[in-house]
Amino acid sequence: MAIDKITTASITDANITTAKLAYDAIPFRNIIINGDMSIAQRATSVSGITNASGDVFVNDRFCWAESGSMTSTFTMSQVTDVPTGQGFAKSLKLDCTATDTPATTERIRIETRFEGQNLQYLKKGTANAESWTISFWVKSVKTGTYIVNFLDEDNARMVSKAYTINSANTWEKKTMTIAPDTTGTFDNDNAHSLTVAWILSAGSSLQSGSLADVWQAYANANYAAGQVNFADSTSNEFYLTGVQLEAGTTASEFEFLPVDVNLDRCLRYYQKSYSYATAPGTNTTVGIVTTDGSAGGLTTGYLAGNIKFEKIMRAAPTLTFYEKGGDSGVCSRLQAGVARTDNQPIATESISDNNASIYSSGTANANSIDVQFEAKAEL
Amino acid sequence: MINTVEKIYNWENNFTNYKVTYDDGKISSVPLDEANTDYQAIQTWIADGGTVIDNPPE
Repeated sequence: MAIDKITTASITDANITTAKLAYDAIPFRNIIINGDMSIAQRATSVSGITNASGDVFVNDRFCWAESGSMTSTFTMSQVTDVPTGQGFAKSLKLDCTATDTPATTERIRIETRFEGQNLQYLKKGTANAESWTISFWVKSVKTGTYIVNFLDEDNARMVSKAYTINSANTWEKKTMTIAPDTTGTFDNDNAHSLTVAWILSAGSSLQSGSLADVWQAYANANYAAGQVNFADSTSNEFYLTGVQLEAGTTASEFEFLPVDVNLDRCLRYYQKSYSYATAPGTNTTVGIVTTDGSAGGLTTGYLAGNIKFEKIMRAAPTLTFYEKGGDSGVCSRLQAGVARTDNQPIATESISDNNASIYSSGTANANSIDVQFEAKAEL
Repeated sequence: MINTVEKIYNWENNFTNYKVTYDDGKISSVPLDEANTDYQAIQTWIADGGTVIDNPPE
């Protein structure tokens, strides 16, 4: 190209768009963490999920959640069934294993949750609030209308968007844009400010109004109007991957991150001592934390130690300790080279976002603590 | 689901965390951090009538 063809007009801001650039001009534009479902630290499958299970995680940052007392059950897995030719290697699969019909305000959904401090650039609640665009790949045995709900936890506001599964058991890409919300700012802190929920079942009281397809005050009636009941057949399977939420009115190409970067982001919310592929509670010494030996040598009394987390966590985490054999709430006491005694008491002196001070008041003669752990600071 | 909650004291008799036993038998240590969602769940459990086991050292 001749130099005189490059004019000032041709390089004005309006003519230079992300789509025309050969690289990702806006790194970390995807607000969703682990949107490609590549990370699953806890397990690759959990079965028997019921209303008593609480939040259940397989793929990091995405949890199964239920409100009410539905009797349906599910298996959630990280699987390799993905849309062809899109670059994805893993997806989240939810398999209905026992059916039920949701009553009144009962609901089942897959959720991902966000800290307010990561959302400030969206300028929600101001005159300059951004539009948002969400895109994802989805496959379901059950066709029909499904809802994605965005819940502003700080201001009890929501917007719900409908999408249609057109063909059974076929990967489809869905894209939806949400108009700006000039009401209700997100708190600028590490607390839970936003939930994005893929609704799977919703009771009649959640569908009796008109779908809240623009931001509005939370109202049950407008939460999920039109939603099919995914829990109505044990043949039902739901798959999700390639989830991206970004500022603006168009969906850009999915932002693939290196696996180490993706995992690093997940560690802010969940860590464990076990190796990546080992589920907590496994009988193993691989990854076990051994505290520095007691300064006083062997003792049947107190032993103390320290666990330094791999990355500063969102908040002081809930710690679950496991002795070598896999029982929780206890540790092993180690006499190095001689004996390891399992099922010994363990407690915490303190827990912070980057460190835990632990001690064992057990009776087994030992000079250090052997313990596995998982640390959870989810939203 | 929470089954029992117990206050844990250190050797200096300071209340440092909660020991929570869940219905599935899992036992966890929950820090006294209002940003921790398990701490928040304990406060809700207490507000709903749950009784915390409290045996401070003598």
